[in-house]
Amino acid sequence: MSFEDWIFSIHLLFAATLVGGLVMSWIVVVALRSVDRADETLGLNRVAGVGAVCIALGLLGTIAIGLWVAVLRTEFHPWDGWVIGAIVLWVVATAAVLQSFVEYRKSGAKARQLVASHAPGPNTELVALNRTTTGLLLRALASAAVVLIVIDMIYKPGA
Amino acid sequence: MVAAIRASGQDFPLLLHIVGATLVFGALLASASCIALARGQVRLLRIGYFSLLLVALPGWILMRLSGEWVYRKQGWDDLPDSLRDPSWLRIGFGVADWGAVLFVLALVLGGIAVRRLRRGQGTPRLLQATMGLALVIAVGYVVAVWAMTGKPNYVDAAPAAAAVQASTNAVTVTASEFRFQLSRSSVPAGATTFTVVNRGKVAHNFWIDGKSTPQVSPGSRAKITVELGAGRHLYVCTVPGHANAGMKGTLTVQ
Repeated sequence: MSFEDWIFSIHLLFAATLVGGLVMSWIVVVALRSVDRADETLGLNRVAGVGAVCIALGLLGTIAIGLWVAVLRTEFHPWDGWVIGAIVLWVVATAAVLQSFVEYRKSGAKARQLVASHAPGPNTELVALNRTTTGLLLRALASAAVVLIVIDMIYKPGA
Repeated sequence: MVAAIRASGQDFPLLLHIVGATLVFGALLASASCIALARGQVRLLRIGYFSLLLVALPGWILMRLSGEWVYRKQGWDDLPDSLRDPSWLRIGFGVADWGAVLFVLALVLGGIAVRRLRRGQGTPRLLQATMGLALVIAVGYVVAVWAMTGKPNYVDAAPAAAAVQASTNAVTVTASEFRFQLSRSSVPAGATTFTVVNRGKVAHNFWIDGKSTPQVSPGSRAKITVELGAGRHLYVCTVPGHANAGMKGTLTVQ
């Protein structure tokens, strides 16, 4: 394997980490919608934490190594339309996913508060926070942007 | 490079393949994390199992079927035996198929554990085994992603290139998307030197009679010398899909 091949391979490993993290986060988001107990919310938050680390690593790794690949490989350039499109989508995905973390952190905070007050049982306010529409839409926006990046990378319009 | 520019018709199956693989990878991580971090919570343990059953299993089916589709689209069946299924491709199929065996085992063990959980019986060891299997398969997928993208041992470069003989035939091969143009359609038997010039936009190589140039970048050139006996000799570009798209032909040796 050449140096370029290694860099390209690492880029795609980061991409797999990112999409894998998003899949994890969707499993948590869907599961959270039927959770009304503080202890179970905190349990899912622990799993969401692993997903968040994967997403953060994936977002940072794909952009950094991806730009490096675009510079290294003679047939691609950072100013190519499909590369710029991917960068714009990456910015959208990053902004949406960070804001969705803020939304879902609210239910975690509420759950910790309930556990601290020795009330880990069902709670209507917690249910509402676990079913946040804003968080769900932001996560969907981030996922759509990442799917579009994958499509952009495969089809490379204009390349 | 599979993810570089490909011959048309391979993009959609490749997209499905990638979607399937990432679904499996994400669900394996989710499953292992749920079981590892459950701290005895039954709901989390069940989510861990159902992530495998409802997300990873359909993802594996999608990945495997679309992988087979890509394989056919790239025309691996049309290549000579010595070129078929290189190591990177064998790693991919191996991880998918042996991973499936472990996956079925994880599903069975996890299923028994979840069933016992429903009856109120604790089953930490079965679920720990399920988690362990999920992690092993996930590590296998990381290796497969590396192999499928990096393609180790991609080209069996011609060691004979150094042994250029004094009396050789010379053929200039111009490569572009997706065709080869040879300066001669026939050569006398004996050592023949092929100078491969890439006039295309993506990397190509030139394989003939068991020997190949390294990947030739756009605008670059490479040489190989091959001892050819009389007969018709198949030549191809072994970059996945390129031969199927038209980068193949036969050279007559008299």
